[in-house]
Order: sequence, then structure tokens, then C-alpha cells
Amino acid sequence: MNRHGFIRRRPFYTVWWVLLIVLLGWVWQERVALWAFPDIISAYTAKEYCACRYVMANDAEYCHGYVKQWLPTSGFTDDAASKRVTVSGMGRSNSAEWVGERQGCRLKP
Amino acid sequence: MFKGLSLLILLLLSPPAHAENWPGAQWSTGPAVTGPALQALEAYAFPPRDDTTRQGIRTDALLVIRDGQLIYERYAGPTTADTPHLTWSISKSLMATVLGVAYGEGRFNLQDPVVKFYPPLHRHPTLTMADLLHWASGLDWQEDYEYAPLKSSVVAMLYTRGHRDIAAFTADHDDYAQPGQAFRYSSGDTNLLSAALKTIVGPTRYPDYPWAALFEPLGIGRAVWETDASGTFVASSYAYLTARDLARVGLMMARDGRWGDRQVVPKDWVAFNREPFARYQASQDEAVPGGHWWLNRSIAGSATPWPDAPDDTFAALGHWGQAMYVIPGENLVIVRYGDDRDGSYRHNELLKLALKAFVAKVQP
Repeated sequence: MNRHGFIRRRPFYTVWWVLLIVLLGWVWQERVALWAFPDIISAYTAKEYCACRYVMANDAEYCHGYVKQWLPTSGFTDDAASKRVTVSGMGRSNSAEWVGERQGCRLKP
Repeated sequence: MFKGLSLLILLLLSPPAHAENWPGAQWSTGPAVTGPALQALEAYAFPPRDDTTRQGIRTDALLVIRDGQLIYERYAGPTTADTPHLTWSISKSLMATVLGVAYGEGRFNLQDPVVKFYPPLHRHPTLTMADLLHWASGLDWQEDYEYAPLKSSVVAMLYTRGHRDIAAFTADHDDYAQPGQAFRYSSGDTNLLSAALKTIVGPTRYPDYPWAALFEPLGIGRAVWETDASGTFVASSYAYLTARDLARVGLMMARDGRWGDRQVVPKDWVAFNREPFARYQASQDEAVPGGHWWLNRSIAGSATPWPDAPDDTFAALGHWGQAMYVIPGENLVIVRYGDDRDGSYRHNELLKLALKAFVAKVQP
């Protein structure tokens, strides 16, 4: 049994394997960006909500609408006493905190 | 004798012909404008607003300064005259203006290599301050926001891999071109300028420098400028000013960097801001890049970006419809804050309607 025979007899499997290898290659190449990707929605929501609420001093209801994106978030807490906003989504959690009159809000490390 | 006295009284009572208006703690107001042209402008800028769908043109603030006086302002949504509104990329032009003050102090030259002020750029030794101000670093930066979040350098810089140290994150990018050869809009370029400023003015002055150099001399009371964890100003994105305060910067720019008797930013710096980048090719972006300000200039015979506005119009522009237009020839500054999510807002349309409303020529 030679290789050409395999491709002829199993064309579907061959295409499937090629696609899988290409996909794995892409995942490896983009591993840094892919690993960071799930953080975007919670970090974005925490940071921009904090700024909407505590820098621009808009009301909470407006700020919830302001930060809404097509990706869903799960947990949301806004600790008004410490001006700290924590958001979860896509399995990650991020916080932003108001740090001062001039410096506004910042994502926590 | 009587004639001479009355002439003297007349001279004392009438303002000198070249008197300039400058705001004190507040803007003085000029003659209010009314009529169908203003109604047309308002119909365009302030259609019924839907905060649920967020569709259409959603102006938060529109403010017009003519001859140094406030002649129109209107707010919508939650924004008021006291709201320090997020300016997004207007921050970039503000950073350029802050740098202009340091330039006026003689602390750097446009052709200085940036690595002199920011050593992590050692892989890019020929990159100059002018290249960064032209958004021509040659760094392989991806600016897309919402549409390509995986590959977006700016999303990674603001929210994930880069937010702790935005300048180091930028400096880590590879080249795609030689510095100074090609325009590619980049928030990273601006944040390298922000990091360079730290060395240019020194780490002691840096945390207060935008206020001491620019905001306080102009009487800007409430400005917020967020930093990353390393203390670098997020000069690409995160300055917040009230519309009234931002217009002060616009008035200074309209008057070639002067505020009252004080030349806050050198004239030649403003000239550089307003000079098109020579390697820019027509239609690469929505307006023509100068030195970190946007210009309404014709490139190689092409139409100007905003054909209904004068050629001397220049602007600071930001995400979701933030804009400050400066039209020196008409003594006009227009601040427009918005929350546009669908890209339907058009600079040219706003400018056309505003010019009709506020500088309509008297019919013969």
C-alpha cells in the first residue's frame, strides 16, 4: 500500500488531516494572542465602566449600557467604597480601580 | 477742545480694533445664533437618541467658539458642561501639544533618535521623534479595535498583554518598513512619545507635566490623564476633558500656540503639526496626518478630506466620533463629543452645516 493509494481511497480523511495540521500550526503561531483573547471582554468592561462611572461621573445604569459588547460577561461587582470594578467573562476575571483625581482608573495587574 | 474731549471719551469707551477675546475662568459668550441653518445642524447632530440600540449619530456635546467667545453649546445623553469626557485619540494631539511645550524649552529636536530618550528602542536606532509624530515608525502595529480583536495591537495594549507597560509592549514589535518611510496610524507610536517625554522632562516633572505645561496655563480646571502601571501616560487614548476645556487648546492652536501674551507652544512647532507628512498617500486615512494633528489638505491633486470645509481646517480626532476642529481663517473652534457606534457620523457633514450656521456670509 503506497501513499497515493491511501489518498485515493481516503480523500476525506486526507483533507481532514491537512486541515487539522494547518489549524494546529495557526494555533501555535497565534498562541500568545489566543491565550490573551479571553481577557479582553472582562478587562475592557472593568476599565471602561470604571472610567464611565468614576471619571466621567455618569450614572450606573448608563454605564452598564455604555460598556455593553457582543460578548457576554458573567460576574460584575462595583465596590463603590473603594471605586473598584471587577468583571468576569470567558472564564477570566479582571479589575479596574479609580486611583485619583488626575490619574482616573487603571486596570489592576 | 470739546471736539477733542469727545474723541478721547469715544476712544476710551470703544474697544481697540484688534482686541482679542480670551476666556478667563469661564468663556465669555458671543452673540447667539438662531435660524434654519442652526436647526439643520441640530437635526444632524442631535437626532432622537436611543441608548439601547446605540444606533445612528449620538452627539454628547457640541460647542462652538468664534473669535475667542462661546457662541453655541449643547449637550445630550448623560454629558454636561461639567463632564470630563473621554477624548480617545484626541489625546494623541494633546500629547503632541504637551511635547511642543518641552520643545519650546529646548529639550529635544525633531530629528533626535527616540532611543536617546527611550532605551528599549535599541532595535530601532534610526527612529526619530518626527517619525513618531508622523505615525511613521515602521513598527508592525495593528490598529483595529472591534473588528479584529485577536490581532489588534491596540486592544492588547489597552486591555491584555500590554496594559502594564504600554511603551515596552510597543517597542517589542518588529519592523515592517524603515522609520520615516510610510504612514501607518499607530497608538503605539504615540505611547513611545509619551515614554520619551519621561526622560525629556525628567521623571520628577513628568507626572504633573501635562498640567504644569499646558492645562494650567490655559486655565483648564478638570483634566484627567490615565497612566499605565509604570506611570506612562496613555497618550494614545485616555485623556478626559470637558468640552469647554478642550476648546481652550483649540483656541491656542488657532492662534499659533499663543495664549494671551504667552507663547505656550512655539510657532514653528504648530507649523510642524500642520504640515502634511510628505510620504502620506492620498486616502490612506480619513484625513491627512501632520505632526500628530489631522489636516484638511489636498495630496497630489486629490480632493481634500472635508471638501465643504476650508483647506486650513485641522483637527484632533478620536474613536466613537470625538473631534475638535480648528479653522483659523474663520476664528472658529468646534468641539464635538459623541458615542457613535456605527460609523454613520461624517466630519464633512458636521463641518458643512456648522459653517452654514455660524459663518454664513452676508448676502450682498
